[in-house]
Amino acid sequence: MLRAIVLHPRDNVAVLLDTGAGAAVCKLQGAGDGQVQLTMPIPYGHKLAVRAMKKGDDVIKYGEVVGRTTATINIGDHVHVHNVESLRGRGDLVKKGP
Amino acid sequence: MKFFGYQRQNGEVGIRNWVGVISVLDVANPITRTICQNVSGTIPITTLFVRGQYGRDLEIAYDTLAGMGRNANVGAVLLIGLERTSTEAVAERIRHSGKPVESIMLQDIGGSIAAIGHGIRQACNLVIEVSRIRRTSAPISALSIGVECGGSDSTSGLSANPAIGYVADQIVAEGGRVVISETAEFMGAEHVFARRAINEQVRKAFLDRINQHEQEAIARGIDIRGTNPVPDNIRGGLSTIEEKSLGAMVKAGSSPLMGVLEYSETVSGKGMYFMATPAPAVESMTGLAAGGCQLILFATGVGNTIGNMVAPTIKITGNTNTAANLSDDIDVDVSGILEKGEKLSEAGQRLFEHTLEVASGTNTKSEVLNQRETAISRFEPTI
Repeated sequence: MLRAIVLHPRDNVAVLLDTGAGAAVCKLQGAGDGQVQLTMPIPYGHKLAVRAMKKGDDVIKYGEVVGRTTATINIGDHVHVHNVESLRGRGDLVKKGP
Repeated sequence: MKFFGYQRQNGEVGIRNWVGVISVLDVANPITRTICQNVSGTIPITTLFVRGQYGRDLEIAYDTLAGMGRNANVGAVLLIGLERTSTEAVAERIRHSGKPVESIMLQDIGGSIAAIGHGIRQACNLVIEVSRIRRTSAPISALSIGVECGGSDSTSGLSANPAIGYVADQIVAEGGRVVISETAEFMGAEHVFARRAINEQVRKAFLDRINQHEQEAIARGIDIRGTNPVPDNIRGGLSTIEEKSLGAMVKAGSSPLMGVLEYSETVSGKGMYFMATPAPAVESMTGLAAGGCQLILFATGVGNTIGNMVAPTIKITGNTNTAANLSDDIDVDVSGILEKGEKLSEAGQRLFEHTLEVASGTNTKSEVLNQRETAISRFEPTI
């Protein structure tokens, strides 16, 4: 079974420690336990959601905010640049207005 | 615990005993490289620009070139300059370290062929002179270690950086110095790291540097995504600079933050310091080496092959795929942490022992394969 690690009890994402084909099941380790079914293929080392998130929610890893969601995210979804944005060094936001 | 190094006149200890051939400006680079190709025991320390730089940038350029010359791994220096004023500006910043400093000025010596011939002869004599120095036992407190990461991915923050952090704590506990750099890679993690500042002054200085750096990016109306994290970080699973920063800062271990250093600044204090540098590895490591680091621990995730010219660079990965694919360039594989349940303390101890071996003379891959480069930061235009 695939492995994924949760780094902090507050986290809503886990890091996949294997390459994840679609619909595969991964076992959580670290600060998480239980299993999560992937909803899509996820590359080695990428993040999957262990909690559902609404658009605009904080993404939490290491117990800290690492970004904000830009779409609804379901448990088992790939969490990456297509649905998360950084909140730092965003000169583009200042230029266009928030 | 101890290592075997080269005792210098100013009390510092080198882990290598090179003759540094230093270009005072870009014009000298072909001559510097030719001399080094012909004289074993030398390292070429080259630079782009310098001529036409002014104010703060010129000071940084001179200080960085001189800092690499003063580095304890360099036993003697041969400067290759164009003319007297700029060459002397670098020479005078090195001489007080007590090591031999020779210089050649292209305009005085009679051009490139004369400079190469004369330079080879001088470098040859300096190599023989420094080769008389023997390694002797030295305490770990004599070590200053730079901690760096490049080509990071999600494994960096989970294995390679924590293993480096373990070593950083050992070095600090033994009375040595650890320097972490890369200002941008504290964005999103600075509130956590700032808690470790030794006092309010250091805390404020640290936070100010991170904030200034971010404001400079914002003032240009640019989104830094795509530049940091870079595309290979993103392929490696890192989505944002905040995520990258939280993984990167752990390579400084857990000891208090003693102070904030400018690019290439030297410090005599012990413990853990932050040096404000740009994030790219070559530029950052140049600042660390100029600031006196004799050795650099470099974590990579998706892979990065470069080392520093002056400070031997140990490449470490926790990514099992990179450990296999880039094994020619990786010195220490800590992928067992994620793959085989190796304890962080075991991997960290392995890396610590390897670090002391390298300090005593064991070569690194980037040293032997000559995957070494120098780049001095510049912040202003050339005039």
